[in-house]
Amino acid sequence: MTAAPINHTPRFIVDVVPAQCEPRYGIKVPIGKSGEAMSVAIRTERLIEETAAVARVESGMTLAIGEPAPAALIRQIIRRGIRDLTVVGSGLALDLLIAGGCVRKTISYYAGGGVRVAVAPMFRRAAERGEINVWECDEGILTSGLEAAGKGLPFMPWRGGVGTSLPEINPDLKLFQDPIRGETLLAVPAIKVDVALLHASLADVYGNVQHRGGPGWIDLFLQRAATYCIVQVEKIVPNEQIRADPWATTIGRADAVVRLPWGAHPWYSRGWYIQDTPWLSQYVSAATAAADRDEPAALQSLLTEYCRQPQSHAEYLARIGLPRLLALHEY
Amino acid sequence: MSLSYSIPEMLACLLAADLRDGEELQVGVALPIPEAAVRLAHLMHGPNMELIFLGARMNVHHLEQIPMPAFGWDCRVVRWAESFSDRGHRFDQVKDWGRRVFFVGGIQVDPYGNTNLIGVGDQYTRLKFRGPGAVGTPSLTTHVGRYYIVLNSHTPRTFVPRCDFISSVGWGDGGPEGRSRLGLPGGGPKYCLTPLCVMDFTETEKRLRLVSLHPGVTLEQVRAQTGFELVVPPWIPITSPPCAEALRILRTRVDLAGALRT
Repeated sequence: MTAAPINHTPRFIVDVVPAQCEPRYGIKVPIGKSGEAMSVAIRTERLIEETAAVARVESGMTLAIGEPAPAALIRQIIRRGIRDLTVVGSGLALDLLIAGGCVRKTISYYAGGGVRVAVAPMFRRAAERGEINVWECDEGILTSGLEAAGKGLPFMPWRGGVGTSLPEINPDLKLFQDPIRGETLLAVPAIKVDVALLHASLADVYGNVQHRGGPGWIDLFLQRAATYCIVQVEKIVPNEQIRADPWATTIGRADAVVRLPWGAHPWYSRGWYIQDTPWLSQYVSAATAAADRDEPAALQSLLTEYCRQPQSHAEYLARIGLPRLLALHEY
Repeated sequence: MSLSYSIPEMLACLLAADLRDGEELQVGVALPIPEAAVRLAHLMHGPNMELIFLGARMNVHHLEQIPMPAFGWDCRVVRWAESFSDRGHRFDQVKDWGRRVFFVGGIQVDPYGNTNLIGVGDQYTRLKFRGPGAVGTPSLTTHVGRYYIVLNSHTPRTFVPRCDFISSVGWGDGGPEGRSRLGLPGGGPKYCLTPLCVMDFTETEKRLRLVSLHPGVTLEQVRAQTGFELVVPPWIPITSPPCAEALRILRTRVDLAGALRT
């Protein structure tokens, strides 16, 4: 059951610019007498392969995962056996990384699985057994810390969490008197991210990313806080398409983009496909058996079949199968 | 003809009636009663309400049906959204959240409406039960105009004299200044709904007070299931049943899969 690797779309490189064309977009194209490009300074492309993308992630790093989950890259991280990650993430994607043995610490505001999954099973087990450390926060605290990192500040002030137990159970959060009005606020330290992995609709080869139907709510915070940001996309589009609507560009300079159509499966990708509820239910049952009843067999076989064995994203998709994928192909 | 309905259906109708046109209604995930209530209110009397789900802002009053999410994190609930509330900058306009209404669940609730989504146990490092985490509740409940506490169980384990951990402040240590003492601008919790009863907060102490008992529930039962002394008024009505029209809309245009009936 092997599938051919996904070929990238043809690239539009300046060496096909005819002599009579004005050099466009500020790219100088010296034209020789014969009408051919002589020496061309070519803009660096940021399109990379999935294996090269995951090679940026090393054990022990702080890794952020966006929403919807960059599932294809997450599976690659599990396959490569990366360990001891501090993960800024939430939901069942976080749970999958914990199940895959990759996580030492979570910076998570929510580790439930949404409707019918009150608490993500493997997160709960690992937290209760002390196998992971939880950096307790909420959405407002997390975004404040990410913003501080993006702005190069030591902390950001935030009000949400004042009066709660959060500053007690997370000693990194400090209550302080603000010097302007003397109010009691929370100082949220900068949350620096080594690598952010995001999923989006479109990008060009230069790292201009456009989310169709809007970015996941936290993605842009993660990008701003990250040293290196990799965005997996459904489709690579020509640079001209990006220029047609620059306001639609949500991330102007991703460090790398990876073409991974269906890459958010089993989660959704806005404007492309909906979540694969049967697959996710199967995961929740298997993880619940492993977490609550010490029966890890079903979970391990899911991890083996879908995360560890497939050598590529295409091979994973072949295992899911076209009929199932097409059934999700709506919005 | 008498109507037959479930307690969650009754609570959804009750909650819907308390929501006013023009309000912004933000619901997180996994709270089926508020999920149903905001949709019902929007269809019935809220043409200018805005529903905020998964960061999307929607006015979908014109739709024939506004179905509920059934599992996980279903992006279809934000179909027909007109904008994303934040465009990557959530919390950048909390100064205007006075018109926003929010809903929280909890593993534990104390007499002043402080709630806990973090976990249960004497020591944070050795939790007996690890909860899902605070989600956005500390920040939301700090700023929104008012919120509702909606629980799917009412036992001495949920209603405790002191939460092991507080993730959302209700009225803090109590009293009408319970929140302003902490500098929290939002209006705090208004009602607490459970499978047994409806509660609000007393004016002077801001302690949980019984408002009504659901059909078939006795005062003794509620007292036995509450781990602290509840303020009980001299006269306790039975929680209002849903009207036929609300129930019809709820079943045919909102809760198509019967999530509130199972």
